[in-house]
Amino acid sequence: MIKKQLKNILIAAATFGAMTASTTQAANWLMLQGTEPSGAAERDHVWGFIQAQYQDDKSDPNGAGGYIPPKLIGPNLDSQSAFNVNRARIGVRGTGMPLDSNVNYFILTEMGNNGITAPGGYNAALTDASITLNHIPGARLRIGMFKYPGAEEGLQAIHVFDYINFTSVTNQMLLERFPQASDANVPPTATPDANMAAYSRSVGAFRDTGIQVFDTFKSDNWEHSYAIMVGNGNGLNFGDNDDNMDTYLYWSSELVLGGKGGRRSGLKLFAWNQDGKRTSTVDKTQEQDRTRTGFGVKYLGKLFRVTAEYMKGEGMIFQGQHRPGHIYNNEEADGAYIEGGWYIANTNFEIDLRYDTYTRGENHPTSAANDESTADTMTIGTQYHFNKKTRLNLEYANRDYESNTAAVEAQQKDVGGRLAVQVTHIF
Amino acid sequence: MRKFYKSLVLLVAMAFIAPAHAANDFAEEKIVIQISDPDPFKQTQVLNVANNLIKHYGKNKVSIEIVAFGPGLRLLFEDNVNSGRIDSLTTDDVTFSACKNTITAMTKKLGHAPALHSNATPVTAGVVRIIDLVNQDYKLIKP
Repeated sequence: MIKKQLKNILIAAATFGAMTASTTQAANWLMLQGTEPSGAAERDHVWGFIQAQYQDDKSDPNGAGGYIPPKLIGPNLDSQSAFNVNRARIGVRGTGMPLDSNVNYFILTEMGNNGITAPGGYNAALTDASITLNHIPGARLRIGMFKYPGAEEGLQAIHVFDYINFTSVTNQMLLERFPQASDANVPPTATPDANMAAYSRSVGAFRDTGIQVFDTFKSDNWEHSYAIMVGNGNGLNFGDNDDNMDTYLYWSSELVLGGKGGRRSGLKLFAWNQDGKRTSTVDKTQEQDRTRTGFGVKYLGKLFRVTAEYMKGEGMIFQGQHRPGHIYNNEEADGAYIEGGWYIANTNFEIDLRYDTYTRGENHPTSAANDESTADTMTIGTQYHFNKKTRLNLEYANRDYESNTAAVEAQQKDVGGRLAVQVTHIF
Repeated sequence: MRKFYKSLVLLVAMAFIAPAHAANDFAEEKIVIQISDPDPFKQTQVLNVANNLIKHYGKNKVSIEIVAFGPGLRLLFEDNVNSGRIDSLTTDDVTFSACKNTITAMTKKLGHAPALHSNATPVTAGVVRIIDLVNQDYKLIKP
C-alpha cells in the first residue's frame, strides 16, 4: 500500500511540477510552517504564543479510591483540578538573507508545562529547528527538527487549534511516548499522593528530526501538496536511538475559496502514512513495528467549519501514561473524529462540537484475545475572540470509556466529564 | 505638404524625447509612492494605498507611480508574493520604477542581478526619480 501511495504521489508531483510556474505562498500547513513568503519575509521575525488554562475533571476514583491518568490533569497527573501554563512558546523565523528567497529557517522553543517539558523536568525545550532550501522547483527540502507531515490535528498550528484537549485517537495513538529502560508502571493511586506520569522523556509532539521533500502546486482554484519525509523516529529527542528510520508520506488537495493563513477558507482532502520500527529500551533485541495511516476532509468556510478524519495504527499501541512497560506491543487501534464550528454572525462567539471515538487492542496482563478498550467523547465548546490574536476557549468533554478486560474496565468505567477553560494570546 | 513633413518630424522627435513613463495628462491628482523599507508589511501597505487612490479618484483621474529603492526594491522581485497585485495595478495604469543603483548594489551582494517583475521599469536612481516627479507637481506619499 505504501509503495502504491508513493507511486501515486510521485506521478502526481511530476505532473503538477510540469504544469506550474507558481511560487505563490500557499496557505497550507506544509507551506505555512516550512516556507516564507517569497520576496516579502523578514530576516528575523520573532513570534510566539501563551496558553494559560484551568481544567477540572469530574471522574470518580475506582473502588479502592485510586485514579488512572484520564481522571487526572496532565502533565503532572497528580490532581483533578489545576491551573496551568500549558504552552509558552517563543521562536524566530525568516530568511537569513532577505534578498535570497531560496533559503528560510524556523526555530521554536517551549517553556510551558506539558508533555514536552514536564517528563524530563525541563524549564525549556527546543521543539523546532529547521532550514528550508527552495532551490529546486517542485521539490523544496526541509532539514532539521519539525512537525512531520501527518494527521490534521497534529500537523496544524496548535495556537489555532479550536479545542483545548486533543481527541483520544490523537492523544493515545498518534502522540508518541518514548519510554526509558528505568520507566516502571505505576498502579492506580489515590490523590493527593497520585503521580501517574510514569514516562520520563518528552512526548514526540508530532515532530521528528530528518529531511522532507515537499511542495505545493496550483491548478486553477486547487492547491495540491505533497510531502515525503525520512526521520529518526525519535520525536524531540536528539540523535537516533537505533538504526531504524521512519518514513512519512502526505498528500492533500484543497479547493481554495478565499482568504489566507491558518484560517483560509477551503475544502481540503488529505491522506497520510507513517511507517517505522522501534527498538525496545528494555530488551534491545526486540524491534517493534509502528505504523499509522489516515485520511480526512476539512471544510472551512466563513460561517461554519467541518472536519472528519479516520486513523488506524498497528504496533506500539499506547496503554496509558502510567504503563510504559506495556508499550512495546503489536496491538492494533483505530479511531475517528468529526467536528464542526459555527461562527455566530455579527458577534465574536463561535460554537464548537466534536465527537471522537478510539478503540485499541487491550494489552493488560489479564486481557483475553480480542479484548478491546473504547473511548468515546463528545466535546461541546465555545470560543470568544477578543481580537485576531487573543481568544478564550471554554469546553466540556463528556467521556464514555469501556473495556472488555475486567481489570481495565474497573479503572475506566468511572471516567467522567472534564471542564476546561483556556486563554490563548499570539504575539 | 511641408507642414505635414514638419509635423511628422516633430512627432518622431517627440516620441524619442518622451519620458519612459507616460503620465496620464488628464489626471486630476498625480501621486508618487515611495517604498524603501525592508518591512514586508510596507509592501502590502503601498499596494493598498495605490488601490485605494484608484478607487477614490478613478483610474483615469489619478496618475500613480510607485518608486522602489533600497530594501524596498524586494517588492519588485519577480517571485514576490505580491506579483499578482502588481499585475493588477499595472492594468490600472500604475507605474512601477526600480532604482538602478539598488539593482547594482544587490547584484554585488547576490552574485547575480535580481530578477525583476516584468512590469518594473529601471530608473537611474530612485530618489532622483522621486525628485523629478515632485518637480512635475506629483505629491509624494511614504506609507
